[in-house]
Amino acid sequence: MNRTTDWLLAFAGGIILAVMINFNSLLAKHSTPSIASWVAHGAGAVVALFFVIIYARIFPSKRENSTQKAPLWAYFGGIPGALTVILAAITVNSSLALSGTLAFMLVGQVIFGIISDHFGLFGIAKRKFTLIDVFVIICILSGSVLLIFFRN
Amino acid sequence: MFIYILLAIINGICIGISRSINGRLSINVGAFKASFWNHLVGFIFLTLLLVILGNFKVDHIAGAPLYSYLGGFLGVLFVAINSYVLPKIGGIMTILLVISGQMITGVLVEYKSGAALSTLLQFLGIAIIMLGVYVAKLSSLRREKN
Repeated sequence: MNRTTDWLLAFAGGIILAVMINFNSLLAKHSTPSIASWVAHGAGAVVALFFVIIYARIFPSKRENSTQKAPLWAYFGGIPGALTVILAAITVNSSLALSGTLAFMLVGQVIFGIISDHFGLFGIAKRKFTLIDVFVIICILSGSVLLIFFRN
Repeated sequence: MFIYILLAIINGICIGISRSINGRLSINVGAFKASFWNHLVGFIFLTLLLVILGNFKVDHIAGAPLYSYLGGFLGVLFVAINSYVLPKIGGIMTILLVISGQMITGVLVEYKSGAALSTLLQFLGIAIIMLGVYVAKLSSLRREKN
């Protein structure tokens, strides 16, 4: 697959994420944010298991690089991911409110993205940072901040 | 105030770490298995946390409409896609493209006609985001050629 497909997939991932957050917020209204996340993770584990089984049935020969073992830490991505909801519940109820929380979470993500690419953290290929990258980041962050703070 | 700003930034970093770790796992086991482990480990972790904090309040959740449970399903797809793409296009580009898709969809889903000024600023926000993505695409095409 070429790079354009990967770009479109990443963008589509963002669309899915936005819709997911709407569903999870609805669930949170009927419980609490952490309970909603707990339910979503549990349901997600079951659904993902289905996907794994179906995928193995359809592509029985296709084994990802299973001769090489993943490092143990690679199995624990769920922990910082699950922490997110707890941390967000704290800041949303502070003076930052929802808008401020969203904006600074985006900033944190971008800071991490820059650092991880620069140092090649977590097995990511090292990548030189250019002026164009800075321009792109400023565009996407400032556009997002406009969208966050000027909701009708 | 400052401590909450810091906490929100740390939260964003947590998101980045989680997605990078899942991306690393997907290289060896595939995107769907990476998504499975993410959800299973997250579920166990949240179970322990909720027990320790004593926050298990599930009395009213039965009132939630059935389709609100679709969030779990979409989460699986999201983690699988993100894990598949991240090792290929890099951390910062994945994050920026996901943010773009998420912010634009968020506005469209929640759009209510309201004050003209904020509608205008929302259009401007979408346009600036798309400009950023376009410039990134141009520069990556040029890099591929060289």
